[in-house]
Order: sequence, then C-alpha cells, then structure tokens
Amino acid sequence: MNQMLSAKVLEYRGKTLDFSPENPAEAKIPADELHEHLQKPSTARTKRLKERCRWKHASAGEFVEKGVRAGIERMRYITEAHKASIGQPEVIRRALGLANVLNKSTLVLQPDECIVGYHAEDPNQFPLYPELSSMGVQDFLMSDYAPQPAEEAAEIHKYWMPYSLQAKCQPYFDPTDLRRMYQFSSMEAPPFVSGYNSIVPPYETVLQDGLLARIKLAESHIADAQKAMSAFPWDGTKGLDYIEKIDNWKAMIIACKAVISWARRQGRLCKIVAEHFETNPKRQAELLEIADICHRVPAEPCKGLKDAFQAKFFTFLICHAIERYASGYAQKEDSLLWPYYKASVIDKSFQPMDHMEVVELVEMERLKVSEHGAGKSRGYREIFPGANDLFILTVGGTNADGSDACTDMTDAILEGAKRIRTPEPSIVFRYSKKNREKTLHWVFECIRDGLGYPSIKNDDIGTNQMLEYSQYSITGNGATNEEAHSWACVLCMSPGVTGRRKTQKTRSEGGGALFPAKILEVALNDGYDWSYADMQLGPNTGGIETLKTFDDVLEAFRKQYRYALQMCLSTKDVSRYFEIRCMQMPFVSAIDDGCMELGMDANALSEQPNGWQNPVTTIVAANSLVAIKKLVFDDKKYTLEQLNDALMANWEGFDEMRADFRKAPKWGNDDPYADEIITSFYEDIIGGEMRKITNYSGGPVLPVGQAVGAYMEVGSRTGPTPDGRFGGEAADDGGISPYMGTDKKGPTAVLRSVAKVQKNQKANLLNQRLSVPIMRSKHGFDIWHSYMNTWFDLNIDHVQFNVVSTEELRAAQREPEKHHDLIVRVSGYSARFVDIPTYGQNTIIARQEQDFGAEDLEFLDVDI
Amino acid sequence: MDAKKNVQNQPHVEEGTSKPCRTCKWQTPDPIDPLRGQCTANRHPLGGVWKRWLRNVESLTCSRHEEGKLSFREHV
Ligand code: SF4
Repeated sequence: MNQMLSAKVLEYRGKTLDFSPENPAEAKIPADELHEHLQKPSTARTKRLKERCRWKHASAGEFVEKGVRAGIERMRYITEAHKASIGQPEVIRRALGLANVLNKSTLVLQPDECIVGYHAEDPNQFPLYPELSSMGVQDFLMSDYAPQPAEEAAEIHKYWMPYSLQAKCQPYFDPTDLRRMYQFSSMEAPPFVSGYNSIVPPYETVLQDGLLARIKLAESHIADAQKAMSAFPWDGTKGLDYIEKIDNWKAMIIACKAVISWARRQGRLCKIVAEHFETNPKRQAELLEIADICHRVPAEPCKGLKDAFQAKFFTFLICHAIERYASGYAQKEDSLLWPYYKASVIDKSFQPMDHMEVVELVEMERLKVSEHGAGKSRGYREIFPGANDLFILTVGGTNADGSDACTDMTDAILEGAKRIRTPEPSIVFRYSKKNREKTLHWVFECIRDGLGYPSIKNDDIGTNQMLEYSQYSITGNGATNEEAHSWACVLCMSPGVTGRRKTQKTRSEGGGALFPAKILEVALNDGYDWSYADMQLGPNTGGIETLKTFDDVLEAFRKQYRYALQMCLSTKDVSRYFEIRCMQMPFVSAIDDGCMELGMDANALSEQPNGWQNPVTTIVAANSLVAIKKLVFDDKKYTLEQLNDALMANWEGFDEMRADFRKAPKWGNDDPYADEIITSFYEDIIGGEMRKITNYSGGPVLPVGQAVGAYMEVGSRTGPTPDGRFGGEAADDGGISPYMGTDKKGPTAVLRSVAKVQKNQKANLLNQRLSVPIMRSKHGFDIWHSYMNTWFDLNIDHVQFNVVSTEELRAAQREPEKHHDLIVRVSGYSARFVDIPTYGQNTIIARQEQDFGAEDLEFLDVDI
Repeated sequence: MDAKKNVQNQPHVEEGTSKPCRTCKWQTPDPIDPLRGQCTANRHPLGGVWKRWLRNVESLTCSRHEEGKLSFREHV
C-alpha cells in the first residue's frame, strides 16, 4: 500500500514544483483510503443523522439498501378523490386529489431532525403515481418493491388504466414507433410512458409572500372575474374565458389551503411529541420551535433562516413528490436564502444564529434530500446508478445587475457539503471572473475532496442563453436582462430561469434523450438493430452496400437521427397537451405569478421557452465517423463491407483491423483531422437538425449533451462500433467528453478540442479526472484556478472533475464495506462508488487521469 | 459466459419451457415494458455485459438458464 502522495516534482519556469500534500498530516494516510478520512460533520447531531441516513440508492433497476419499497397511501388517496369527484372540472379534481392526500396521509417525524416533512407513510418508502404511466406502476407491482396490500395496489392500477397520461397519449402514435422508443437504445421512451419529469418550482413566492397571501390573490381574481362576467354588455368572445380561469383559481385555493393545513398538522405532531413523549428538554424546546415554524410557514412569509429552510422543503415535497413526481432540486439556493441569512446571522432580527449554525442547517438539508425516495420507473433506476434521483442545486454566478452573486450563504452551502460528504444533492457553481476568491476556495475544496461537485457552468453562456430563448416567448414576456441572471440548472446541465414566474414546469418543455451511437449502428444496417433487440429500429435508409461516399454515411445517419428527433419531440409535446388537460398542478400554478395573474395552469403557461433534448453517446458516433472517413474513404485501407464483417463478428478474427480503427484519430487530443469532422457533426447535424424543431413554447430545441448513467445502459445495448469499441462496452460518459482513456495529450488538449464546438448547442457535459497529488498539493488551487480561467476564456460551457486515485477505486471494489464514503462523479451526478455496478465502476477507473505537464501550465499561464 | 454463440446458448423460443428467461438469474426486466426482459449473460471480450432484449420472458430460454437472482453489481 502506497502512502497517499508519492513525492512528485515538476520543473516549471525555472522553479521546482513539489506536489507533496498541502496538509502534511495527509502524508500518513494510505492512498487507497483517503476518502474515508475527509468527512467532518459540523456537529455530533449531523454525524448521527448521517450514520442513520435512510439512503434510497438504485442501481441496475434495484434498490441497493434493504427494506426500501413503494408506499400505498398517495395512490390510495388520489384514487379515492378521483372517484369521489366525477363530474367536477378536471383541475378541481386534481386539487381535491392533492388535498385528500395531504389531509389523510400519515406523517413522519424522525429523531434529531430540524427540517421536517416526508412524502410517504414510512421513511423507507416513496409514493407512486398511477395517473402517469401504467407501465411504470405495473413494473413496481411485479417487483420486490410493490406497495402493500398488493391486491389494493393492483386494483388502483387497473382503475387508472383508461385515465392515465399514458392511456390518453398513446392512441396518437403508431405502436411500431412506440415499441422502438421503449427499447431505450436509440431513443428515450416518451414521458407519458416513462413518467419521468422535472420542474423548477417558483420557491420565491412561497418564501416572500406565504400561501395565505396567494389565497387572497386568487380570491380577488375570482371576484374580479365574476364582476367582469356580470358587466353589461356581455361579450361571449371574452367572457367565456373566465370559466377556465375561475376553475384554475378555485383549484389554487383548494391546493394552498391543503398545504397550509398539512404543514400545521406536521407542527401539531411536533408539539404532541414534545409535550407527551420527548424527555430531553433541549429536544423538547427544539420540537416546540419546529411546531411554531410549521404553523407559520408556508402560510406566512418567512422571517428567518429556519423558516426559509422549512418552507422550501415543504414546497419541494409538494412540487416534486406529492402533487406530481418530478426529479431535480432546481433552485439558485444561495440567492434564495441570502435575505434570510442576513436576517438571522447578520441583523439577528429573527431566529438569530451564527455562521456555523447555518452550516449545520445545510448539512441537515442535504441529509433530508439524501433520504428522499423517488417512485420513478425502472429505466430511471437503471440510468442513474448509485443515485436515488437527480438532485442538483445551483450557486454562485452573478446578480441581476451583473455583480458577483457569491455570499456567505454560498460559502455555507459549500462548506456544509464538504463537511457532511453526501452524494446528493449535487451542486452547480456558475463560474464568473467576478466571483470572489474566498468562495472559489470553497468550490476547490469540495472538488479536491473528490465529491465530484460543484460541477462548473459558464455564467456568461447560461445568462446569454436565457436572453436568446426569451426572444421566442409566445407571450412576449420572456426573461428580462435582469431575470436572465437568475438561472439555475433544471437538472444536471441545462440552465432555466428561477424566480417568481417564467420557470420550467414540466419536462415536456426540456429533457429526454436520444442516443447517436445506436443511431449510427442502425444507420449502417438499413435501420435494423441486430445487436440488442433484433428488430427494425428506424426507417429503411439502405444497407451498407448502398453507402458509396462519406457523405452517404452522414446522410444515412442524418435520416435516422431526424426520425429519432421527430419521435422524441412530438411525443413530448403530445404529453404536454394532455398534461394541460388532465395532469394540472394547481399548487405549482398558485405559486407562479404568471399563472396567478392569468388564471392559467402551470403546464399550459409558457412565458420563457427552454426546449432541449439530450444526445448521449455522441462521441462514440463521432469517433466512429472519423475512423470510417480515414480508413475507408481517405486511406482506402478497408471497404465498408469489410468493416461490416468485422463489426458483425464483434471484431473477433479482425484484431489488426480493430487496432487500426482504435488508432484512428480520436476526440479530445486537439487533432485537426478528428476535430474538424466532429465539430461539424455537433454543429451541423446534432445541433443543426435539432434546432429546426419548434416546441410547444415556440422556441427552438437545442442539444444538452449529458450522459447520466445512460452511457452504460446504452453501451450495453449497442453493438460494436467503428471506433474499435466492442459490442456492449460502455459509451462516452459526458456530452462532449473524450471517450474514456483516449484523451492522451493532456488536459489542455482536451480544452482546445472542446472549445471548437460552439454553434447550435445548449449545454455539453465535460468530465475530467485530475491528479490527486497535484490537486492536494499547495499548488492545487493556483493550477485549478488558472485552468478555470482558461476554460472560461475558451467559452466552454461546462466542466466537472473526479479527483480520486485508481488505487482507492480498486480497493473499494475488493472491500466495498470499508469504502462507504468514497464518492465519484458518474456523469451529471455523484454517487457512492460502492453503490454502482461493477460495469459502471470500471468505466470510472478507465477514465484518463490527467496530469499537468510544464507545457500545460504554460498554456494555462499558471503564476506560481 | 464466454461460450461460443449458437442457437442453443442464445435466447430462442421454446413454448411451454420449464426454464423460461423469467426465472433465470441473468434476466432483468425491460426498462420500460415490464412484460419484456433483458438478458445480461453475454460478455464482450473485456468482460462487460452485452445485453440482449427478451421479447417474451415466458417462452424464451437458452442452455445457459440458471435459477436465481443476481446482485445489482452483476448487472448494468
Ligand atoms: S435463459 Fe438464457 S437467454 Fe434467458 S435470461 Fe437466461 S441466459 Fe439469458
């Protein structure tokens, strides 16, 4: 076993740089257990909370932790209300459904917690959504995680068959096309079948106004509408619009009242426990304080930081898990909480506390999110291996006036994350040259501790993108110059505005994937998938014998890609159509200023377009195209028929040929030959074709390359490819990341390649693995900071880092029980390494570990 | 699972088989349609899983059938 950091030196600008650890005590830590020594919970309480945390990580479709299962209560009460409300307007039925769940569901209160609330009847359980996808629920019923009693769950599933979103949308598509989408190999399944969703809740109105004020607003809108309807002379072209609006406002009132009484019920539970069961006086006082908080918020505006954390968490539970399922934890958290930090820590006007108490609250919030369970379908329990769901919050960046948005709240969020070491929620940091150095040090500390987050997004690119999309607003009310600075990542990668209105409400706006590696495979086979499903997967575009030129190959790909785009985007908008009509979200509508003003449902109102779709596995396809062009059409060393024979044999008996195709130029090495073809592939085909599509909101759809764990699943369903990859091998792990192990020219060559792709892109994920000794040395921050400034100057959208040694990863494979704190960046999220299947673990180990040579430091202009 | 491919060791239909893919440890449900499945028995030369879609988990089978359930670590 090596010590953590072998003595490593580098000559640079006449100096000898020594990469021994900045903290000398680390020299004694064995290299293969470093991560186990890095957690430092700020209090004994958060240490206890972490030790008993009820994680709900899923891998390969299964839950890693024992005892996790679906609960019955949400599906029971939503169904009960649906049956009881026949004949009422659909939006009112949705509100009554939410109210019935909130009024009747069992509450959960756990020891030690200061932020309370849960979305199922048992902290090991999670709710299901029979009104969304029949197939998704059926999978749970057939699994080890079926809700109990099983007969009741089966009855409920049967009841919803004709009413579900899936049932409403399916008739508008050819079953052959849908079957191709269900393969999850060239296209993600439509949202009406997967049930997968994401949202950016307008938290600001809840924290600033409180729900009682929102009820008053809705009541006054109803009164105004009724007055307008009775005013002489009646105008039927306008007056009838009020019917739908009145129903929406009434539904908002029902939803807000139900949420207030649910929160207050939670408060009463805390009071009962304090007065009748709790014997520790300190905890008794704490429970009484929580009871008071839950009585006041979210009913009233928040006055201090404890109020804000609690109101935010209740809002999260309703918007992401109770009213409707939605993945994500989208918020600009530091800006959202900063007014309350000021009140509690600086002014001490309400709930006075010091900075370290804020850090403890952050740690507790992270642990609450870590316990959150998502009733998401099997496909999504496969493609986020090691995660319970995707939870990503955003910090940093710039304010509305363009000034640095980093505050002590930003630092507390980062410090809490470093100390408690949980894989979720992940953090996005919006990097601007205006960011203060103090906060950048916290960002760096998290990264070098190997958390895999913050992942870094370019502040200017995100802000400009909000303004670009704003031009297409169908209401003419897109993000203003000031609002454009409010963006946070909706899920892993894609920016969307936050705030009191104009936020993304449904994933049918943006999200969903398609997979160029598989699309290329079928493009070379007349649309046929021989390697996984043994069926036609796309249109007939001609067999390999019909492809005479490189342009023929590109055009065959383009046709298959267009087919996949058409299916993915049309199914999303059809989902949206029916979400508006039967999946209304009266609570989300109530807390959005636009919906409140206009009396519209949140699914229907689109003020700021934000269309995107994720191409995942683009680099396998792109490297394959480069190899085909070089070896078949330029050098003429092989014919396409010979290549086809080799691929059909999975390269067996074609070793020399495979070596040639592997040696062909690869992305990420600043190679002009490869980069020219690949840049044009990204800009002209991947982005250019997608941009031609206009979605429900009137804006273009742009690519967001972000692999999540789909690069593994799709890799395992994709046959051998002309880049020299074997059938079943994982695909590329980012959106624009070099294929694992093929970026051999150092970290700055990667940046130079990636910077070449600029046109027709929304976001592209770049995974990099950095040297542990360099990052943990006293020069680590300076090198990273110079790297980041160069990255920013090259106008690159994103980068994220793994800082973990191969020795430690291998040790965790041998003895998983000793490595529970080893966290890695998978793709758009982080996970505990031991919670990932071996297949996925090996893809992380295979990533190129980037050392910095003197020429890299020169390019970065590191001043040491 | 490096066996040379032939009809018997790849998924094929045998109506009424007593060894359907559904009960096989290499089978994992389809990600979207719970009535279908995926076979994870095939390995590529570097050792990773190369999946095959199972159109019908009741009537498909092969000579590599083994009863049981694998840990998530063995799948993808
Ligand atoms: S029976 Fe054969 S084809 Fe079916 S899952 Fe098992 S190994 Fe795969």
